Amino acid sequence: MSMTRLFYALGMLFLAFVLEHLPLPPIIDWFQPGWILLVVTVLVLVTPEVAGMWLCIPLGLLLDIEYSAPLGLNVMLMAVYIGMLQLLYRRLYLFNILQQAATIFMLVLGVQVLRYWAMVVLIGDPRPVMLLTPAALTALMWPWVYAVGYVVLQRIR
Amino acid sequence: MWLDQNTSYLKPVRYAIGYVLVPPQKIALAPQSVIYWLGDSASSREKLMKQNDQLRSRNFILENKVQRLAALEVENMELRKLLSASTKVQDDVLITSVTAVDPDPYTQQIIIDKGGSDGVFVGQPVLDAHGLLGQVIDVLPFSARVLMIADNNHAIPVQVNRNGVRAVAVGTGSLSQLDLIYVPNTADIKVGDTLISSGLGGRYPAGYPVAEVTTVENIPGESYATIHAKPTAHLDRSRHLLLVFTHDAGRVPPVELWQDKS
Repeated sequence: MSMTRLFYALGMLFLAFVLEHLPLPPIIDWFQPGWILLVVTVLVLVTPEVAGMWLCIPLGLLLDIEYSAPLGLNVMLMAVYIGMLQLLYRRLYLFNILQQAATIFMLVLGVQVLRYWAMVVLIGDPRPVMLLTPAALTALMWPWVYAVGYVVLQRIR
Repeated sequence: MWLDQNTSYLKPVRYAIGYVLVPPQKIALAPQSVIYWLGDSASSREKLMKQNDQLRSRNFILENKVQRLAALEVENMELRKLLSASTKVQDDVLITSVTAVDPDPYTQQIIIDKGGSDGVFVGQPVLDAHGLLGQVIDVLPFSARVLMIADNNHAIPVQVNRNGVRAVAVGTGSLSQLDLIYVPNTADIKVGDTLISSGLGGRYPAGYPVAEVTTVENIPGESYATIHAKPTAHLDRSRHLLLVFTHDAGRVPPVELWQDKS
């Protein structure tokens, strides 16, 4: 594992956390793609030797604290997401960018549905969860984030 | 997840992880702070002088009111002594600023820039200049999450300032409306009545303005009236808030006494 790649990977994750926190004016406050999921996807696809299942613990815990969710909820969701990415790794690599975006849409949608079920089953909190908007925005942002992430991570290969 | 929801063993872990989130939070909020700073710096001299005049006259009026309030407070204490009632002490407050608003449209929560290091605690009441805004639900070292009274998971015991009629005001998910539930059709509540916190339940201190009644509907055949109220606090605009440190505020009876056993 190259230390430079690890450093860049951590830098990208830090930036994703900054973007997740970024306050937006009311007119565009609906624009909240899953920045962390996007960066995790890039890292798992481009640098599988650096980013793997281990990411789910630190990232999941940080997301739990950030969103005041029960400790472990985002760890579980992140583990499912990374696990699915690793399963679909070869296919995703062969897909064109639109097919990749569609796959990411389905994965993020799946994560949101799981989040809702987990809240209902484990905590008994039937609070509604946004399903389509985060999935659609994440898929929409995927080509741009992938292009930037790919360029950055390939340059240091 | 179960442990975190039902016990307090993981609270220190949660609190410690909060330290890791401080740098990205600070960096993310930097553009907002710069915009506020630029906005404040770019004000013209004339505008500042006008604002200064307005503030001076407002200060004068408020000082006048405070003088009257001091006399009333003494009188109130004397009357309480006559009635052998306990003396109500003045609340300690801490000023804080809103740093972020939760973008989830199904919750009405905000993040403030004071946390555990400033003595903030879960359940602490939060006010703005106009009334009660909500309560702290999660505390990190340098920030805290506040659930606003308009959240549909929130309810607050209130009473009508005019006649003392008690009710429960629940959030509707809309920042401009609270609903009063289980109010009988015969209750004396009118449009324009001010609702203040009653202090029942022990979570909020008594006597702070909560909302103003906007509509009262008495539907024949229904047991309860449909009453809507508008929060007096500026839930969508206030930037500066007050955290209240009252002796009894934010304290509720032990969980086993009020939690549903079924």
